[in-house]
Amino acid sequence: MNALTIGQTRAGSVCIVTLSGRIDSTSASDVMAELKRLISSGEKSILVDLGAVLYLTSAAFRALLVATDEAERKAAKLALCNLAGHVRELFEMGGLLDVFAIHNSREEALKQLAGPRAP
Amino acid sequence: MRMAHAVDVRIRNDISDMGIVRDTLDNLAREFRIPGRALAQLQVALDEAVSNVIKYSWDDGGQHEFLVRITVQPDRVDLEIFDDGREFDPVTTLLPHHAPQGRRPRPGGLGIHLINKLVDRFAYERIDGRNHTTLSKTCEVGIAVQRSEK
Repeated sequence: MNALTIGQTRAGSVCIVTLSGRIDSTSASDVMAELKRLISSGEKSILVDLGAVLYLTSAAFRALLVATDEAERKAAKLALCNLAGHVRELFEMGGLLDVFAIHNSREEALKQLAGPRAP
Repeated sequence: MRMAHAVDVRIRNDISDMGIVRDTLDNLAREFRIPGRALAQLQVALDEAVSNVIKYSWDDGGQHEFLVRITVQPDRVDLEIFDDGREFDPVTTLLPHHAPQGRRPRPGGLGIHLINKLVDRFAYERIDGRNHTTLSKTCEVGIAVQRSEK
């Protein structure tokens, strides 16, 4: 019931990963594996859309932190968008809102990620 | 007087058994109309507490079973875990997850931090060689409990 599903689409150079359902101790490793796979395959801009996530636990936060570190090591960008309701609340409770690149909407995130790179 | 409704679930120290307690809480939430926000917060707290027991209570590599009790009260939900693993008090153990300045944090201890934020009571006792951890969340519970009034 409400199992995690991971979808993938592309907007120009940005790879959009759409997560829906619950991300908990049983499913967080799937998120980490998918993000690491994309980073190691050479993706340079990854946007994780959390708009359809029911809730996430510390295992999910760990997956996102590890993937963000991995992206930095590979000179890639990883951003999050669409944190709504109690998902945003959980980021706040964990003191993690400032730790990730977070955008209010997919459109706003795409403008940032697809924009010209700093010289 | 309104009655409480308790369900006992016995699971193994295997992360794949998390789904059993998660689904049990979901089913109770449907039956007793626990509001969505409270349910999401209870599910996070339950996942953190139960996965901690699975990961850290035993280090002998063997299979163990432990009990998770979910009790729906008229004004709150109690989650209790009884395990015979090594003594560990999550309530008084501070596991800071803040990183050194300028470094991204590792969420070690984040789970316990979240439990503290998500529930109204987080208690621990060691009784007869068993850990007994209790998480209680105050929330409005719907009509099913009232129907069971006697």
